[in-house]
Amino acid sequence: MLISWVLVSLLLFSLGIYGVLTRRSAVGLLISVELMLNAAALNLVVFNRFLFASRMDGQILTIFVIALAAAEVLIGMAILVMLFRRKKSVDVTQLSQLKH
Amino acid sequence: MIFYLLTFVILVLALATVLTRHIFRSAIYLMGVLALSAGYYLLLGAEFLAGVQILVYVGGIVVLIVFAVMLTQSQDLIHDHPSRLRKMLGFLTSATFFGVSAWALLNSHLNKNIEMPSDAQFSAQIMGKAFLSTEGNGYILPFELISILLLTVLISGIVLAKKEKV
Repeated sequence: MLISWVLVSLLLFSLGIYGVLTRRSAVGLLISVELMLNAAALNLVVFNRFLFASRMDGQILTIFVIALAAAEVLIGMAILVMLFRRKKSVDVTQLSQLKH
Repeated sequence: MIFYLLTFVILVLALATVLTRHIFRSAIYLMGVLALSAGYYLLLGAEFLAGVQILVYVGGIVVLIVFAVMLTQSQDLIHDHPSRLRKMLGFLTSATFFGVSAWALLNSHLNKNIEMPSDAQFSAQIMGKAFLSTEGNGYILPFELISILLLTVLISGIVLAKKEKV
């Protein structure tokens, strides 16, 4: 049934939000964002399959989401490595220079 | 039946991903969630997507995250203890989001007995043609833009992460 699939992806997305809001480590944030992206991609495929089974646009968009997720993680990792080299920490609660 | 079993395991793994204190274990649980999502795609009849999911997510992104964990192993974050206030606010926000969205969904016209149509004809062939077609339903422009984006990301990743004094 469509509604149970959508509820599952909604639940995964909510867990991702919880992770983003509670993690102190920036790598933990990256992991939670991946969880949310995965839930959104699943949603696209579900609606494609249930409502427009003769087309493939949802799946094609999912391929784009996966490619963008790869790009996001690569840039995120590069920034974190640079940050760690400068400050010896990736604690996001300590990164507040832009506030002052 | 398979759906409920898969859902149970995925939700337990996703909970473990956001709740565990070790960031490395969190990455491993994330790998489980992503690999089992490929099972979802198989259930939905999207075999090509399941393959891409395993190749790119499990084989690429999780490995990158594990690298990130290892390269930024700071002493103060090996055990990530969020404060109680932070946990409560996070739970409140995500529970509110879930509650409002679920309420809206259950009251919408999607909450009918919409079953999965059995006559879908997904194939990698149609998908490949759609990617490279320049006609009305084609995706050639985003396809080419993604390739430029990936090249940009590759170069900027190297520039950002290299040592400052060469």
